Amino acid sequence: MKTLANTSKEVVYAILPITILVLVLQYTLIWMPFEYVLQFLVGVLMVSSGLILFLLGVHIGLLPVGEMIGSSLPRTGKMWMVIVFSFILGFAITVAEPDVHVLSGYVDQVSGGEIGKWTLIIPVALGLGIFVSLSMARIILRISIKWVLFVGYTAVFALAFSPWMSEEFIPISFDAGGVTTGPMAVPFILAFGVGVASVLRSDDKSADGFGLVALASIGPLLAVLVLGIIYG
Amino acid sequence: MDVKIFEGFTDILFEVSLALIPLLLFFMFFQVFMLKLPWKKVKDIFIGVALTFAGLSLFLQGVHVGFLPVGQEIGDIVGEWQRQWILIPIGFMLGFVATFAEPAVRVLNLEVDKVSGGYIPSKLMLYTLSIGVAISIALAMARIIYGIPLWYFLAPGYLLAMGMMIYSTETFTAIAFDAGGVATGPMTVTFILAIALGFAETLEGRDPLIDGFGMIALVALAPILSVLTLGLIYQYKEAKEND
Repeated sequence: MKTLANTSKEVVYAILPITILVLVLQYTLIWMPFEYVLQFLVGVLMVSSGLILFLLGVHIGLLPVGEMIGSSLPRTGKMWMVIVFSFILGFAITVAEPDVHVLSGYVDQVSGGEIGKWTLIIPVALGLGIFVSLSMARIILRISIKWVLFVGYTAVFALAFSPWMSEEFIPISFDAGGVTTGPMAVPFILAFGVGVASVLRSDDKSADGFGLVALASIGPLLAVLVLGIIYG
Repeated sequence: MDVKIFEGFTDILFEVSLALIPLLLFFMFFQVFMLKLPWKKVKDIFIGVALTFAGLSLFLQGVHVGFLPVGQEIGDIVGEWQRQWILIPIGFMLGFVATFAEPAVRVLNLEVDKVSGGYIPSKLMLYTLSIGVAISIALAMARIIYGIPLWYFLAPGYLLAMGMMIYSTETFTAIAFDAGGVATGPMTVTFILAIALGFAETLEGRDPLIDGFGMIALVALAPILSVLTLGLIYQYKEAKEND
């Protein structure tokens, strides 16, 4: 039950202050109709309770298993298995990531259905999966994270400035890079990655737990840019 | 007056089921072929998945009936004002408050405190990050009002980050880029983004697809630059002491 209290406290800290600020602004500057205020409060209640349940579920059910799978995979001694299953896991957690659903829902609505919800979710999940595999390969091959970041962002800028790129995909792609690192992916990738790293490189595992999330946001960014070139 | 609570909930339930299926299949595969956990553990996992299902459905429903329409309405209202620049300080305040209270940010700050041996205290990080995100959101709002392309911020931002990275240690580089995701808390992606979208839809000559999105990208850049800067200052001081 300690986790319930802690999780609730965390969620309230993240949501309450800004809710109060919005109410203050409402009655000093904005003055929207009262039904919108009610609708906002309904939203706050549902989002907070939803987030509490979600985080609890992730912590008691999903995270321990992520870590177990992460540490049992390298023990098989087959590196290709680590790479392949990292990809599948990366894909599966992105499809279940709340922030990814929110962003793709907004894109669907704002584009009038032209860029559908799943049209965005699937490439984003594929991109994240590929980059989680690459992160694992990086740990195994001991490549510096600076190189991977440098090559990754060079590819991002090359794609974004290419003449075939359709312009409206650029802001969405950079936003997609940000939302994949949400309340599902971050703890999961860390648990899984630390599990793998602790078996693979018992000498300096601390350095490799860091940097996994960083690479995870380049994959979706590149994937949506490629989508923009296909559309363009 | 009619307050919408469960409008469109069946669609959301269907979507959340689709979203959780791949993860469930993945676990079952591992359970059968590798993990072979005892029944009691498996039961825990299923309870966890059920909670995740309920939580994700409620969360998305709350965004659907609450944050999206209300955020857009606020954006609409401000869009009709004579003095639209007021949205810039409003964005600054929202960004500051959202980050200052965010628990994930506090975890990151403690981590940096530890790695730097206390030289970068978590209080300093907290203020740097909160102001960084506040500026990002203010810039995102200014971008919509004046129609500034996203590139004008992203290109110099990432070039600066790449430049600083060359001189940073491996650990600070990793933490900085990890931190990019931390600042985009639950309110930024859902509510503040909805305000920006509503605002961009109301303003004449703005395309909400091009001008409304891009805010999360700017928010993600703020911690990268802050951590790299503080890291370099720390390294400089370390080097000086060793002379």
